[in-house]
Amino acid sequence: MTINATIEIFRCDPGGANGRFETYEVDVHDGATVLDAIEAVWAHHDRSLTFRHACHHASCGSCSVRINGRETLPCIADLGEALRARTPVRVEPLRNLPLAGDLVVDVDGAFERMLASEMTITRTAEDELPLDADGNGGVATRPTRVSDGLLRFNRFENCVECGICISACPTMATDQRFRGPAMLAAIARARAESTEPEVREHLLDLVDGEHGVWRCHSSWECTQRCPQGVMPAESIMQLRRDLVRRRSRRVPR
Amino acid sequence: MGRARVIVIGAGSTGAATAHDLALRGVDVTVVERGEIASGTTGRNHCLLHSGGRYCVTDQEAGTECIDENLVLRRIMPDLLELNDGLFVATNDEELAYMDGFLASCDRCHIPARPLSRREALEAEPFLTPDVLAAVQVPDGVFEPYRFCLAFLATALANGAQIRTFTEVVDLVTSGGSVSGVQVVDRRTGTRSTLGADVVINAGGPWAERLASMASVDVPVAPTPGVMVTVGRRLNNMVINRLNTPSDGDIVVPQRTTSIIGTTSWSVDDPDFIPIPPDHVALLIERGQSLIPAVASTPIRGVMAASRPLISRPGIDARDVSRTFECFDHEPEGMDGFVTISGGKTTTARAMAEKVTDIVCDKLGIDAECRTSEVPLDSYRRFHGRGSAARATAPGSTTLQPMRAP
Repeated sequence: MTINATIEIFRCDPGGANGRFETYEVDVHDGATVLDAIEAVWAHHDRSLTFRHACHHASCGSCSVRINGRETLPCIADLGEALRARTPVRVEPLRNLPLAGDLVVDVDGAFERMLASEMTITRTAEDELPLDADGNGGVATRPTRVSDGLLRFNRFENCVECGICISACPTMATDQRFRGPAMLAAIARARAESTEPEVREHLLDLVDGEHGVWRCHSSWECTQRCPQGVMPAESIMQLRRDLVRRRSRRVPR
Repeated sequence: MGRARVIVIGAGSTGAATAHDLALRGVDVTVVERGEIASGTTGRNHCLLHSGGRYCVTDQEAGTECIDENLVLRRIMPDLLELNDGLFVATNDEELAYMDGFLASCDRCHIPARPLSRREALEAEPFLTPDVLAAVQVPDGVFEPYRFCLAFLATALANGAQIRTFTEVVDLVTSGGSVSGVQVVDRRTGTRSTLGADVVINAGGPWAERLASMASVDVPVAPTPGVMVTVGRRLNNMVINRLNTPSDGDIVVPQRTTSIIGTTSWSVDDPDFIPIPPDHVALLIERGQSLIPAVASTPIRGVMAASRPLISRPGIDARDVSRTFECFDHEPEGMDGFVTISGGKTTTARAMAEKVTDIVCDKLGIDAECRTSEVPLDSYRRFHGRGSAARATAPGSTTLQPMRAP
């Protein structure tokens, strides 16, 4: 069984000039994802198409695009479902990041922000198996301490640094110096993991100011679109509370 | 004469680690990759940092390589690994009978191994099948393949390497029995150019044979894909392996918030696009359930397949082909300046890089020790996040300056 899919892909010259949509027809295997269809376009129709991808299971965060207008990881987006929503399926690059060519955006600035957040990729795991990949409560909540040998489990952070929240954020579109939801969420995580007061204070300094947490318009698009259940908007609100608490501590009584 | 110039074809784990090793030894290295970093075999990886347990019974050489490199990677990329160990579990008498031989093989390969009772195994992993009879704990781990490559490449960049993505090798420049460079096409602009080199390294994974044929030499690489199914909930903390000889669907690797069931194995001619056979997905779910029953009630999140670059041996089935690696210096075949490195695992990428870099440095008369087992790697975020002055891929950006809109 194969799926015959019509797919409309944004194409442009390096740097973004001459933007246009080109339509392709591909045959892919049953159960294929939108990323499979993009790869099939490259493999069987047009070798000049550029797109980013690596892990094909929502862990690397590199393939993020907009499918039918919404930010998504195409590696876990069902092609059949996308076709039912819109035929041809429309695939475009992320917004709010410099366009490098076709579906490729320049993620340098986004990674610089993640570097500055000081969030390590590994987190010291909960005493319980984590929630499911969409951040919903799961059945997996029994304690998992090992009797001896291992003291604690660790695992990678939920955030895959895919840039989807940056693209979905309306504030990012109006203030290019906004720290952005990914970095702010990462800072909240780094503060939660850190036991050093100076580090926690330094990170709080980073999120203060007109391009920090106060710039957010609370549209909640980041939390809505995050494929990993990171909930950046909630982190931003938490950081605001932390800042207010710090300021009120400093008010002389 | 200036610095020796080496081109590495392929930015998967082997190419990335090789670029790092060459740059550390002072070689002027350029990596050319036709897609994005890790967009071939390495990206679509099971993410398993092998302890060697999977191979130690049937393939002692591969088992020893794995544990050696496992320990090195813990040293050079400690922040990039989930280190929760792994279990080899016996669920029937046949598998239980395998245990003594398994423990002896671990010992022979110097893989630390600790037998666990049924109770201990279930306490560690509550979702493990209640059929478990006993288990062995080994130092398996988990990595993230894209970031694994980025960390090697970020460090290589800091040491002067050039990385060119979306740059496809369309031909090798040969003259008089020697390779002197590559012809590349920039996929974004369609422009063709020639890059000269003293040595060209073929780290093309399952595409290695295609690249070698451009120099009219042969490498016996058989593209051997495997399917992996990711379910949308993390059902285990440790890697769960079946205590038996490697077969389809005998391992569940946890990663982030998911669990990844693998693998199957078949052969293809063209590794460019691999349609996923639906029956493989069904088989993996069925086998996965026999290790972790909750797999049945957990939605599938992703399905992937990529070709392993196994070194083929006539008359040997793919499952039985050694997972060790091999370096092919093509000089004896009459093609100097061209070396292929293939086979192996992502876990052993650094050792593969050391082997090929030793050979290349020998060719170039460079007397420099390999230091990659000691030098800690830069943050993977520095590959993108250092600004792209050293990199010929995308427009530049600077430290926490405005992100420019398209």
